[in-house]
Amino acid sequence: MSATGRVGMAALAATVVRAPFTGRARREILFCLLGLPFGVLLPLLGFFVTIRLALLASGPPWVTRGNPAWPAIAAAAAAAGLLTVLLVMTGATRRLAAACRGLAGWLLGERVAAPPPPRSGVLARLSDAAGWRAMAYLLLKLPVMLFELYAVGVFWGAGLFNLTYPYWWLSFRNHPSQVHLDPVPVVTPFDWFGQGHFQIATFPGTFAAFAVGVGMVLAAPWVTRAAVAADRRLIGGLLGPGPLAQRLRDLEQTRALAVDDAAARLRRLERDLHDGAQIRLATLAMNLGMAKKKLGDHGDVPDAEAARELVSAAHQNAKDALAELRELARGIHPPALDNGLPHALATLAAGNAIPAELTVSIPVRPTPAIETIAYFCAAELLANAAKHSRARKITIDVTGRAGVLVLEVTDDGQGGADPARGSGLSGLAQRARTVDGRMDIASPPGGPTRIAVELPLRA
Amino acid sequence: MRIVIAEDVALFRAGLTRLLEDEGHVVCAAVADGDELLAAAARHRPDVVIADIRMPPTHTDEGLRAALELRRTRPGTAVLVLSQYIETRYAASLLHGSAAGVGYLLKDRVADVAEFTEAVSRVAAGGTALDREVVSQLLAASRHAGYLDPLTRRERDVLALMAEGRSNAGIATALVLTLGTVEKHVASIFGKLGLPASESDNRRVLAVLHYLKS
Repeated sequence: MSATGRVGMAALAATVVRAPFTGRARREILFCLLGLPFGVLLPLLGFFVTIRLALLASGPPWVTRGNPAWPAIAAAAAAAGLLTVLLVMTGATRRLAAACRGLAGWLLGERVAAPPPPRSGVLARLSDAAGWRAMAYLLLKLPVMLFELYAVGVFWGAGLFNLTYPYWWLSFRNHPSQVHLDPVPVVTPFDWFGQGHFQIATFPGTFAAFAVGVGMVLAAPWVTRAAVAADRRLIGGLLGPGPLAQRLRDLEQTRALAVDDAAARLRRLERDLHDGAQIRLATLAMNLGMAKKKLGDHGDVPDAEAARELVSAAHQNAKDALAELRELARGIHPPALDNGLPHALATLAAGNAIPAELTVSIPVRPTPAIETIAYFCAAELLANAAKHSRARKITIDVTGRAGVLVLEVTDDGQGGADPARGSGLSGLAQRARTVDGRMDIASPPGGPTRIAVELPLRA
Repeated sequence: MRIVIAEDVALFRAGLTRLLEDEGHVVCAAVADGDELLAAAARHRPDVVIADIRMPPTHTDEGLRAALELRRTRPGTAVLVLSQYIETRYAASLLHGSAAGVGYLLKDRVADVAEFTEAVSRVAAGGTALDREVVSQLLAASRHAGYLDPLTRRERDVLALMAEGRSNAGIATALVLTLGTVEKHVASIFGKLGLPASESDNRRVLAVLHYLKS
């Protein structure tokens, strides 16, 4: 086995050994135990209602031949149905769902947002999707809860108990050798009730039990995690806001981002104008004013040399101001974009510090807004690559397919692009999100880096 | 005159230094932020400090705050703040209390060398120099409200220049009138608007501004 292989195995072994002692394991056990009431609530309630009703109806004419007659069964089923509807309508299921969410949030760190509050009115409460989804969760919780009980009860409980076998064998089974005692069953994951497939009759046998216990305890956190994971999926899928509410939240979030983005861009623009072109023009005016003075009002020129120098400086100020304004205008809207994305990207690629190869294949032209976003994404990605990647070559691929525009920028640099470090990449991702696009980053340390931005063809 | 300049854009700072030195003043120090300004003012004790309002690190009002600090700690130092845009709040805080030795001008004014240097000298001598943009904003508000209706057109021009902080002589030069005519206009303005008489030009500025703002 190679060195990395050996290191990998050692790390794996360490994780497995340490797993039963972690806080996460303890929290998951607690979650399973505290979640029990939710799992048994509905079955108990349903059981209570139906059986009670069936018993109440045990006199004639309901009962025939000792079994409940079909009217009794029908009545019980109707009662169960009514109970379900009542639970949803009164908002009881929502409250239980809130409790489940709270439990998951507190113990598992699984934060699921609450669904929007129900609208008022009888009909609205009856058709309250979130309430019904909560009911579905409570019904599905039963099998999940059984799985959790299996994990906690058998693996943890019986496993820990098995560890104690050597101890109490010594304490309680030290009868004189003539007394014959039945063998002691050991609970394993495969026969819970100790039906006797694994039985020990001697003291050394207890060590076998101990070994089984160790195995069970080592496996326990993983089984619990699996059970809890199933529960988490249910909670996330059923107890959160519905797809419409989720979409609304998404839209509100991206709208806020877009508004902030726009405000920040305007501020930057004002700053650039103020610190760049404006002050160059002020200096230019100052130089010309001084030059006028050096030239005098009429007649001979008092200081021609100084005047020449000042006029020359003013000339340079004017040229610099022009260049600044041109750059600024390009930063607001590159004129090349009016001819379409391929032309604009070609200009961008040609002017890039690192040689960039461009391939464009867009059968359907996107809307101008999307083209603008794609252009600025490409510009920012190229700038990032130039600044951080130390690449020798960049390829830009733009393809349009199935209503989606895909912009891929690949470089052969050192990789390690991380949206968390620096706001450039995360800002791009946000901008893509505002039009329901996305950004995928593949940048392992050592490179190469491939960033793909997907945008719909029309915003 | 000994001057300290504070301006973060090197190009403009160099141009301003040259302009003032050409006029025969001494630029003791040319710094680039508010803290350095206070240090240089303490070290060189200039007659007047010319400061850009927007400077690092926050690029909001460092220069203004340094100027106000200087007015507090070194009352004998005249302060002229430059800005690329007019913010009437800044003007108000600068003129708070006293208008002596205070100026607030747009950077555009440096295009006219004579006017700028005259303003610098006026401020250094204890007078006031308010940019005509600030004044015209205030005048526009008052004119809209009808306060200035009693005045003639000429009197309104004189009022504007008074609000800028010019002396009677300065007004006479600017409007190409005789000194006597200007004095007559000034007296008429004070009478028509009911302004209290004031001995010095900078107190006059305060009186006028107070009237215009109310």
